[in-house]
Amino acid sequence: MKLLRLEFYKCRRRKIVLVCAAVLAVELVWMGAFFTRQDAEDLKWGWMLLLYNLATVDAIILPLSVATLASRSCELEHKGSTWKLLETMASPGSLYAAKLAWGALVLAALLVLRSGLFLAVGIVQGFQGEIPWGRFGLFTLISWGVSMMVYALQQGLSLRFANQAAALVCGISGSFLGILSMLFPPALVRCVPWGYYGLMSLVFMDWNQVTRVTRFYWRWPPVTDVALLSLWGAVFLIVGRTLFVRKEV
Amino acid sequence: MNIIETYDLCKQYGNALRVAHLDLSVPEGSVYGFLGPNGAGKSTTLKMILGLVRPTAGSIRVLGKGVDRKNRLSVLRQVGSLIESPSYYGHLTGEENLRIVQTLRGVPEKNIREVLQIVRLDGQRGKKVAHYSLGMKQRLGLAAALLGYPKLLILDEPTNGLDPAGIQEMRELICDLPGRFGMTVVVSSHLLSEIDQMADHVAIIREGELVFQDTLEALHGRSRHHLALRTTNNAVARNLLMEKSVPCQEEEGYLILPILSDEIAAQLTRFLADNRLGVVRLEERQKSLEDIFLELTGKAASL
Repeated sequence: MKLLRLEFYKCRRRKIVLVCAAVLAVELVWMGAFFTRQDAEDLKWGWMLLLYNLATVDAIILPLSVATLASRSCELEHKGSTWKLLETMASPGSLYAAKLAWGALVLAALLVLRSGLFLAVGIVQGFQGEIPWGRFGLFTLISWGVSMMVYALQQGLSLRFANQAAALVCGISGSFLGILSMLFPPALVRCVPWGYYGLMSLVFMDWNQVTRVTRFYWRWPPVTDVALLSLWGAVFLIVGRTLFVRKEV
Repeated sequence: MNIIETYDLCKQYGNALRVAHLDLSVPEGSVYGFLGPNGAGKSTTLKMILGLVRPTAGSIRVLGKGVDRKNRLSVLRQVGSLIESPSYYGHLTGEENLRIVQTLRGVPEKNIREVLQIVRLDGQRGKKVAHYSLGMKQRLGLAAALLGYPKLLILDEPTNGLDPAGIQEMRELICDLPGRFGMTVVVSSHLLSEIDQMADHVAIIREGELVFQDTLEALHGRSRHHLALRTTNNAVARNLLMEKSVPCQEEEGYLILPILSDEIAAQLTRFLADNRLGVVRLEERQKSLEDIFLELTGKAASL
């Protein structure tokens, strides 16, 4: 708890709020631009259309955002050569855990705020049908779960390499692969960590080639995908933590 | 009592043994100078004592307790350290940096003000550390090490990169600590003159091996006096001196003799003159600490 509190203390003046505000602004502008281009027929899908596209935007925006947050948190230690000071007062394992917990809380706050913002947008726009509170909650949880899996990967890289270019290039590649993977065969999507933003979407689209009609429908993420997501997360966490703990400073 | 003891301490990187079978004994209350040329293994040794680097072999006792992975942090609660360059968060102020260490060490908040005063940084406590000079950063590092008033302070090259005034200031601070706070200070350096001015005990390592460990007095004791004699014919003079059972050896045009009393020296010069040899130089010399360091490490005193 003490270490976690210190993580927030250390991130003073690191413009973390600005990074989160930028993520929200980009998603808002992106979605705003998308909805203004939709006709009345499309808009009747309201909440489903919103959540479907939000998952797509997440796949593009969040990998880089998560990489940036992990990098902001880890870079300050490399920059000030603080590992050799910190590790005389705390174990490397607890330092790793504190950084991961910091990321979990920041991402949770960001994604809850994001969901609240888009719920408000939907209500103001008067989307048809009942407000899907439960599905919005689940969507937030899924976004957070996938982001945490990606965060574990990014934190591992940011801790391993003092030069943050490696971690940020991975984040940029993730953003690219995240959206591209939606075109991959289903088995292959599951091999792309950033592809889980789309894979775990609560809304699926069915486009009928004959009638040329698009239909959206609710679905629950398959248990196997949840298990695979947890597996990816566990692998990134164990490998990242082991490499960090074993590293001599 | 020894506050640090290492037994057969080794560290191997690849095929190179960077620290080889080191047996250090640091007496409590001393300023222990850890001397060696760059790359001799000083930082690696200090990091092993702090548990930042895992030894390949050997054992370490700090404050009378064997240090292992389990008890490392509890032992280190009474140890302050400043290893290589200072550790700091540039975007935070000096005081904020110390607050992080204070929270982690669980020591009273008032210690922050006190250590800032000790290192004479109290006037700069609200300034971001990124805007500090190197000397100020080094003093902040020392303040962080002092924060819990530890029994043992490990300082690795604390004067590196400082200007002469900064070096003098840091030296005064370090020399002050055992008397003022009862701390034992281990300070490493590659500068013999620096250790000579600060330490009362010295260890010298060369390529990871301990080549000397004793009091500074004992090191000075090695710098024995001798006489250097130059005559019109050193070869003949040498034979004559050998006849008189005076040990001597020739070095760079001089005959090196042990210190002789005035009476014997006078007899000797008369004896050489009686044998038609002119004494052109008779000097009393002392082997400098630099010479001893060079002998022990095979390198110049400051490399």
